[in-house]
Amino acid sequence: MTFLNDIKDYPWTSLLAGILPSRLAARLPKRFQAPSSQIVPPASVAGRALTIVIAIMTFLACLTAGGVYMVHQSASAWVDDIASEITIELNPLETTDIEKKMTLVSLFLAKQPGVTRVKPMSADDSAKLLEPWIGSTAALSALPVPRLIAVEIDRSDPPDIVAIKKALGENFEGVTLDDHRRWQSEIKLITRSTALGGIAILALVAAATIAVIVSATRSAMATNREIIEVLHFVGANDKFISSEFERHFLGLGVRAGLVGAIAAAITFLLLPLLVSLLGGGAVTEAETRRLLGSGELDMGGYFLLALIVVVVAALCMLTSRLGVFRVLKTYA
Amino acid sequence: MIRFDNVGLRYGSGPEILRDVTFHVHPGSFHFLTGPSGAGKTSLLRLLFMSIRPSRGLIFVFGENLADLPPAGRAALRRRIGIVFQDFRLLDHLTTWENVALPLRVMGKSESDYADDVTDLLHWVGLGNRIHAYPETLSGGEKQRAAIARAVIGRPELLLADEPTGNVDPAIGNRLLRLFVELNRLGTSVILATHDYGLMEQLDAPRLMLQEGHLQVGSPQLTAR
Repeated sequence: MTFLNDIKDYPWTSLLAGILPSRLAARLPKRFQAPSSQIVPPASVAGRALTIVIAIMTFLACLTAGGVYMVHQSASAWVDDIASEITIELNPLETTDIEKKMTLVSLFLAKQPGVTRVKPMSADDSAKLLEPWIGSTAALSALPVPRLIAVEIDRSDPPDIVAIKKALGENFEGVTLDDHRRWQSEIKLITRSTALGGIAILALVAAATIAVIVSATRSAMATNREIIEVLHFVGANDKFISSEFERHFLGLGVRAGLVGAIAAAITFLLLPLLVSLLGGGAVTEAETRRLLGSGELDMGGYFLLALIVVVVAALCMLTSRLGVFRVLKTYA
Repeated sequence: MIRFDNVGLRYGSGPEILRDVTFHVHPGSFHFLTGPSGAGKTSLLRLLFMSIRPSRGLIFVFGENLADLPPAGRAALRRRIGIVFQDFRLLDHLTTWENVALPLRVMGKSESDYADDVTDLLHWVGLGNRIHAYPETLSGGEKQRAAIARAVIGRPELLLADEPTGNVDPAIGNRLLRLFVELNRLGTSVILATHDYGLMEQLDAPRLMLQEGHLQVGSPQLTAR
């Protein structure tokens, strides 16, 4: 409850003045201005170097979180795609008239309940799928490339895959069904690993930020020891002194956090351009796009970046608060 | 109001600065604390102000045993005490007005409630034209008056002053003494550390005399045991 009271009593209206550079803050309406000069001079708490360090930490956190978010979004789209499709593979070596067999199998599939669309792929389409590995060569047409039928299914009322598989096996030779479960589980595994890696990086960034703020708090208190003594002499309690410091660290967190998050947002916006500037050709771009989707953050992604700014600011404020209380205990 | 029982003080493993100091100060009294330089006047004030702890003995301020007081309790007691330091302890990045208003700001009072009081007091101590000046531009005497104004702005129940007239000319010194006497009339207890005999002779107030760490009492108003 004390913490909630602290939040209620916090001078929120003057927070904006604390975040903005002093020249801009002076132009704010009076109700947003701090009531008097700050008791602890801002420059003695949050120097430029500390602001840059926190901005870099936020930038790294935003890049990590944004990257994980994009991979997650892209993987979800993949899983959605392949979960709403099954693939039928026809072995050309086990039939003399592969085109006829394609038609028969397609007609059979189209009659099954829960199947919404059947799309037989031409021999050229099947060959194109092999091009990334084998290349575009005339020899491809001479190879017995398996023929594929893409079948879209109704996810709200899915067909009985086991029964279809069994019926295909009984009625047609050399026909197999792939329901993509192996791919789904592999994609989920990759997504989970990426998320875990991202969380580990975020935890490291958070730990480094906490260490930097703890050190900065101690240094700020050492620099302002005389001010703390005077505050004690005029009857200030630890809560008052702590609020004077944490106000600066909150401002620092918001300021540096915004810089880091905006830099990360710009990086995400320029990601496709960066790939081509770094020498990535059309194939690299296509692969990046395949991995990260469109390569741009959606609204959810930008919300995540804003959330990171809030977390960084709260981390700066709370860490400094605990740091100040700990140091004040040694003064007592 | 204040009681010292066999208080002794030493810094580290050095010699005892104060030895078996025992005295009792009543509410509303006025005392001079005097003695030669190095006798322990400032140390005694620091004990009273909870800036340091005694090596032995008990100190009671406003009925509270300082040895048992948690940090929050110390802050609450300090709000009832005003102190004038020998080295002023003004904050250099705040204006004179802001320095004087600091105790009220710490108490959580609204600036609009105390703005006029601070300005009036600054005029009274002769700093009306230095309200917006920063301490580094003030003379020694002006700093001292600002420090005194800061100590008295909250109408403390107890005022401790360490050589408050040491850096001002006699006319200002007398004016400041009148301010202390006026505060005392309004109910504030005053302990004024000084070795200015001229100042002490202007007022018939009991004297606490420190000599080689021992305290002698020179008035019936103060009860020594």
